[in-house]
Amino acid sequence: MSLAEDKFFEVNETDFIDASAAIEKWQHFPASFISHHGQPCCDVGREWILSMDFSLLNAGNPLTGPRWLRNKYKWGPSAWPLHWCEAAEQKTLDCGALAALSQEIFVARGVRSFPVQLIHQYSEHAASQWCKAWNSDDANPLHWIKEDLIYHEGCAVVVRDNEIKVWDATATWWINAKQFGGYGGVLAIRVIDSQSAAPGALQWGAHRIVPNQWQKLARARADFA
Amino acid sequence: MKIYISGLYCGTNPQPGVGIARSLRLAYPDATIVGVEYSNRSSGIHWTDFDELWLQRPWEELNLAAYGEQIREVLDAGALWISGSDLESMWLAGVFPDGHKNLLTPPAGGLQKITKPAVPAHKGLPVRIPSFVSTDLSDWDLHAFCRQHDWRVWLKGPYYDAVRTRSWDVLVAVRSSLSHVWATERLFLQAHVSGYEESICLSAYRGEVNGMVRMRKRELTEEGKTWAGDVTEVPEEFAAPLRKIIRELNWTGGAELEMVRDAEGQLWLLEWNPRFPAWIHGATIAGRNLPALMVEAATGVAAQKAKAVCEEFTRVVLEVPVRSQFPLPALPEPYAGGVGHSMKHPSGLPALAERLHKMNAIESNGNGHNNGHSNGNGHGHADKSNAPVVPPSFVNDLAAYDFTEMETPSWLFLGSTAADLFKRAAKVANSLTTPATRVVNAYSMKTNPDERLVKLAYESGFLAEAISLLEVQKALSVGFKPEQVILNGPGKWWPEGMLPKSPLHAVFCDSIADLKRVVASMERGELQSKIVGVRLRTPNIASRFGIPVNTPEDFKKLVNAIALLPRDSTFGVHFHMASSNVGVRQWWHLYESMLRWCRSIEKLTGRDIECLDVGGGWFPDDWHGDADDQFATAVARARDFLPNVKQIVSEPGKAMAQPSMALAMRVLEIQEAEGETEEAVVDGSIAELPMHFFQPHRILRQDARTGAWEPLRRGKTHLLGRLCMEHDIVASNVELPEGVQAGDVLVFCDAGAYDRSMSYVFGRG
Repeated sequence: MSLAEDKFFEVNETDFIDASAAIEKWQHFPASFISHHGQPCCDVGREWILSMDFSLLNAGNPLTGPRWLRNKYKWGPSAWPLHWCEAAEQKTLDCGALAALSQEIFVARGVRSFPVQLIHQYSEHAASQWCKAWNSDDANPLHWIKEDLIYHEGCAVVVRDNEIKVWDATATWWINAKQFGGYGGVLAIRVIDSQSAAPGALQWGAHRIVPNQWQKLARARADFA
Repeated sequence: MKIYISGLYCGTNPQPGVGIARSLRLAYPDATIVGVEYSNRSSGIHWTDFDELWLQRPWEELNLAAYGEQIREVLDAGALWISGSDLESMWLAGVFPDGHKNLLTPPAGGLQKITKPAVPAHKGLPVRIPSFVSTDLSDWDLHAFCRQHDWRVWLKGPYYDAVRTRSWDVLVAVRSSLSHVWATERLFLQAHVSGYEESICLSAYRGEVNGMVRMRKRELTEEGKTWAGDVTEVPEEFAAPLRKIIRELNWTGGAELEMVRDAEGQLWLLEWNPRFPAWIHGATIAGRNLPALMVEAATGVAAQKAKAVCEEFTRVVLEVPVRSQFPLPALPEPYAGGVGHSMKHPSGLPALAERLHKMNAIESNGNGHNNGHSNGNGHGHADKSNAPVVPPSFVNDLAAYDFTEMETPSWLFLGSTAADLFKRAAKVANSLTTPATRVVNAYSMKTNPDERLVKLAYESGFLAEAISLLEVQKALSVGFKPEQVILNGPGKWWPEGMLPKSPLHAVFCDSIADLKRVVASMERGELQSKIVGVRLRTPNIASRFGIPVNTPEDFKKLVNAIALLPRDSTFGVHFHMASSNVGVRQWWHLYESMLRWCRSIEKLTGRDIECLDVGGGWFPDDWHGDADDQFATAVARARDFLPNVKQIVSEPGKAMAQPSMALAMRVLEIQEAEGETEEAVVDGSIAELPMHFFQPHRILRQDARTGAWEPLRRGKTHLLGRLCMEHDIVASNVELPEGVQAGDVLVFCDAGAYDRSMSYVFGRG
């Protein structure tokens, strides 16, 4: 079989991707958060994670992404609701759990931080692989996959005034605000600000982000094009 | 149109020649592009965009005067020259002091303004320069710079090469290696800045910018070189002052400003390279053909418009056919036991650097020191002194000794120095004490159990910190009462049967097993202690001591174990990490993080932490310097986090002991080579200075004529110890003053801590 026959290198053209259906699918999908049993078990878990984070910051800037979480946790399914005591002791966490922990960590460091929901484009082949890895089938489809689009979570941190950066706690990188679509590209974002009575708009690169609502990201053009 | 392009090396740290050629080929399809290289080992000579090759002999073989004339003829004939090598540009600036309309390289005046690390030309740009010092400084001062920057420092060569040096022994070894390669002692140490790397690249002709781009590195090689990146417009707040600077420098040629953007968005300028970067064709792919814009400005011949393909670029490894006229050279034979590889600088750039040094063609300016105390914006001052400052009290104390008859090597107790240190420590502790919280010092017996120091500690109101029962007995023998003794460490019960019958001041458990043993011993009435606590293992810095909190399970075990401690004793927490090893700033972060762990422990166990014992391993200058404000802040922070803390124990450790003793040794033999003292043998050794690998020592020599003690400066002499051990070199790169002869005494200061306590008997029969 030749590579060409299998369309091995084919990537969907994002110009023709309409994220509306995906947004509709995840319109009422809540951002993940870590629950607390109200018992010492969760106190221990929470104190450990936050104290360990400060230690591992190693005199770095509070705006440094907490990459250590991914050294501790593999990426994989989490059982929800997830409590602090469970989160601390798990071996694997999903993107929602990693994002929620990261957001708690940033807040504990004194950084203004918000949960972020994202819709990424990958490929149907990637989606198929994830379905297999997460033991999904037709009877139990993965809730975070819609064809070649996926639901993902991260967290935003305010770097100055209303300017934010978006931390992908699973990939352990800052998501590029300039998006060209394609494999791994971000098509839509929702920043959750449940702290402010009247949340103001945020600025993510060239994007003006209105909190608490999904918005499609305009595809960037190259500067010299 | 004929264009000569040099810098064709295409290894893992490539030069830009091939990228420049690719870009110019797009803009000028009919131009004759001539590749210039100085080694047939540079694979770029085989790139197909080169119509011709002008292969020179390596720089160490070239007759520079003749070569310069040949280049002049080429330029006079109308060809253009674009250099892809910093050193070649510097040399050409000397060959053509008034420039040449076809020479597209920067002028000498411009090059002098971009010498690293200070990069004087940066003023006006929204960048900062990371702190740096020249290795002209004394070892003592270089060590201080490293501590100040948490040992996150780079030792950099004058033109190329940068190596992270995370410890003193590594720094000394790398310094020696780079000095050898670049034939200069003028290296520099620069603080590391964490962040994302990005560059501004521009082309200019006669002071006018033809174009510029910003490139963010998106993939890096292990050497930190660009493998992929995105190319965008330069923000106007950067572009405007840069255009002005380029005009002032009358810049011609390519340039790359290499920077790091930290987590807060601040840009730090690392280097200003006087040439295009190796990724230059990435800018062309993005639609900004900078080499072509420059050629267009220089010749007036319109370039074909660059087509923006994509603003992101990446590299791939390509195999290309070797030109038949230039078959591959043989690979150098590996040294015995070595791994074979191509030479790092096949064109002989280090040789060119050495030749330019001798011609004074590349003497840098403004590259003194900028040691972090300023705003980091390159306002360095050129301090030519390379002798360490030695406290006057050292010299005063030495006056008490008669060196004429002294057997050497011999330890010298610097009495007034030691007394002053203890007195000052007591004063600081008293000044920090409040009615709610007492601050007290503890003397770590292991640092140096010399009775004179232990007695000074006792008389200065210190507690004694012991790690064995033998040390407890030593403290008691000097006058300490058991209630003034802290027992610590994993071997604290050794040897059996020597535990005092009356209560100790504090016992800190080093493990859960130790804690259970303490509880059992207290229940049996064998052990009595006013304070019982735990030693925490530092979670972010490797340590074998204390109870770990590395996992939630560890932490839970600790919390549960603390519940076992008797309620009628005061609870305390101890931690220790040598600040001299991890650096000052990182130590203070550790302190803050430990307060957080303590607060968590207090919250989860319900036990008030009433005693906080903080170990330091402080380098004396860091402790006795200007740290008083930090101590006051530290005490206030402890109270903020632990409102019930009643006692804070500070263990200044070697800050007390290290300056309190020196080691006198005699010169046994001086070995000269080519009129310079290269090596001298002394009767001291690493057996008396085992900390030599971890810290420098200030060395004093008494002038035979005036009797004055003078510190040895930086130089080229190695002081070899008396032992027949290869690594017995007690000092590297010092200057022995004229007239030093066998029998003269050298005094190694700063040897009163672990040098003294860990010294061993070796080679004495």
